[in-house]
Amino acid sequence: MNARRTNWWAIFWVVIAFLYFFLPMYGTLDFSLRMQRGEISLLAYEIVFADPRFWQGFQYSTLMALITIVISTLIFVPTVYWMYLRVPQARPVMEIITILPFIIPAIVYVFGLIRTFSRPPFQLTLSTVTTDMLIVAGYVVISMPFMFRAIDVGMRAIDVRTLTEAAQSLGSNWFQVLAFVIVPNLRIAILSGALISFATVMGELILASFLVRPALAPYMALLGLTKAYEPAALAIISYALTWFSLGLLQLISRGGTTRQITGR
Amino acid sequence: MMHLELTKITKSFGSAIAVEDFNLAVAQGEFISFLGPSGCGKTTTLRMVAGFERPTSGTITIDGNDLTNTPPNRRNIGMVFQSYALFPNMTVAQNVGYGLKIAGRTRAEIERRVSELLALIKLEGFARRYPYQLSGGQQQRVALARALALSPQLLLLDEPLSALDAKIRIELRQEIRRIQRQLGITTIYVTHDQEEALSLSDRIVVMCNGRVEQVGTPTEIYNYPATAFVAKFVGHINLLPVSVTDPQHGLVRLGSQSLRAGRYAQLNGRPIRLAVRPEEINPGAAETANVLSGEVESVTYLGSIVRIGLKVEGHPLALDVFNEHSLQLPSIGQPYQVHFPVEACWLMEDSEQPGA
Repeated sequence: MNARRTNWWAIFWVVIAFLYFFLPMYGTLDFSLRMQRGEISLLAYEIVFADPRFWQGFQYSTLMALITIVISTLIFVPTVYWMYLRVPQARPVMEIITILPFIIPAIVYVFGLIRTFSRPPFQLTLSTVTTDMLIVAGYVVISMPFMFRAIDVGMRAIDVRTLTEAAQSLGSNWFQVLAFVIVPNLRIAILSGALISFATVMGELILASFLVRPALAPYMALLGLTKAYEPAALAIISYALTWFSLGLLQLISRGGTTRQITGR
Repeated sequence: MMHLELTKITKSFGSAIAVEDFNLAVAQGEFISFLGPSGCGKTTTLRMVAGFERPTSGTITIDGNDLTNTPPNRRNIGMVFQSYALFPNMTVAQNVGYGLKIAGRTRAEIERRVSELLALIKLEGFARRYPYQLSGGQQQRVALARALALSPQLLLLDEPLSALDAKIRIELRQEIRRIQRQLGITTIYVTHDQEEALSLSDRIVVMCNGRVEQVGTPTEIYNYPATAFVAKFVGHINLLPVSVTDPQHGLVRLGSQSLRAGRYAQLNGRPIRLAVRPEEINPGAAETANVLSGEVESVTYLGSIVRIGLKVEGHPLALDVFNEHSLQLPSIGQPYQVHFPVEACWLMEDSEQPGA
């Protein structure tokens, strides 16, 4: 049969893609292990891990990422739910709005933020707490395309309207419908949106560096200006972190693959 | 006072009228079907009773309490959906017990009621299964149990069997009727399947284009259809265009053949049709009955019955005969004579919806 014949073109492109993605990474990894001349060592990693600024950046970015995830979940689950239930015709508009962070460069966005919020009446850049509020708001916007799309896909897989009506006829108010019926069925969608948002925030450079907050990415950039081996090690660490997030995502969503989509 | 009363209900979506001047009084424990083609307003009416839609005008009362503007979660009405709508994240027991949990019942009470309901729907061993582990028929039983858990004052079923195979459908519909009788719960059942409506209901509401065409028992609906739409929609019917020759005695003429009608409408010069159901027509001639001669056009084998299609004076006429061993099927093109009792046919004015 034709389908069984080896498709050499397919293999060729797979190999090309593999080299394209993995060769630079292999180069970085190899380089990061050669800090000591003539031998393979983890010295660069030791230096990175021993630097308190790394841990500070890591902690700060993790905290900001978690806050971002909580806030964007609280914003997007009810919004998308409402859109599905009451204004399905607003969907094209929502799609365009949520894709804006991909279209508007982050640098333009951050200058807009600084210009607006560094002067009265909303002078938020004066204290660290209010700057952190500003940065979280920025992260929420930057992660919006991922969060919206993940929740949107999750909602599409369940019959939102009928489940809502079923829950209502059993006495649930709006809060109970969301908390007991909608959100538990969106668990995987919310988690996948959350993990992608997490990876995005962990690697976000421009917002943090222009708002001068001790996040992980500005530390990496700074290190890259003055050192050679440590930034390579850091790059590998952040890769590992991202892959760990994605692996976690795979692991969690596998538990749900046998679940049937609600009858329609 | 009736249990459920719908008074002058009208619902329009923009300029489109979905339901117009709907009036119905339902007695406690009655099983009512809304029957009609898709888009006739039957589901919209049901959704207004459930509270998912608000009537544009009119009132809905249960035991005299006006519920027209009460939100669905405060009506205590059980609802079963075509798509089952079981909560995919919950087990069978959790699904059935959901309403009780929301109502704040104790855990012991919920457990007792859930096992009682699972016994009622004969799914005792399935409490810990998830909806995706059940067949369609089982899921719909669970949905029924869930809707009954709070002992609602009204049970609404929106085409609950449409998504199931023919065999399960018949089983489950008998099951629904058994449970409904056992609990004595007032029920409204929406369907486009006339067989379901006829076999289940105490009374049927036949709807078309947002209007009620007829309300009556299955016998009334089938044997005495009030409008041409009902006659055509429920069961198969032959409608022969005839001209009246003797209005006093109901004598009519079809081409060159003379017939007598049992019940006849007021004859006021409008086009008239003679209506007769295929099962009332028998092969051969008989002296006291109406006799028609035609030609065989088709023979359709339907299992227990065989439908023979004739052409009489240029008009189609179908008759059903039982598929007995002694049955000799006519061949196509053969001249064929049939007869039917005078009481079995009636005259109808040509309806304003010729295509319906």
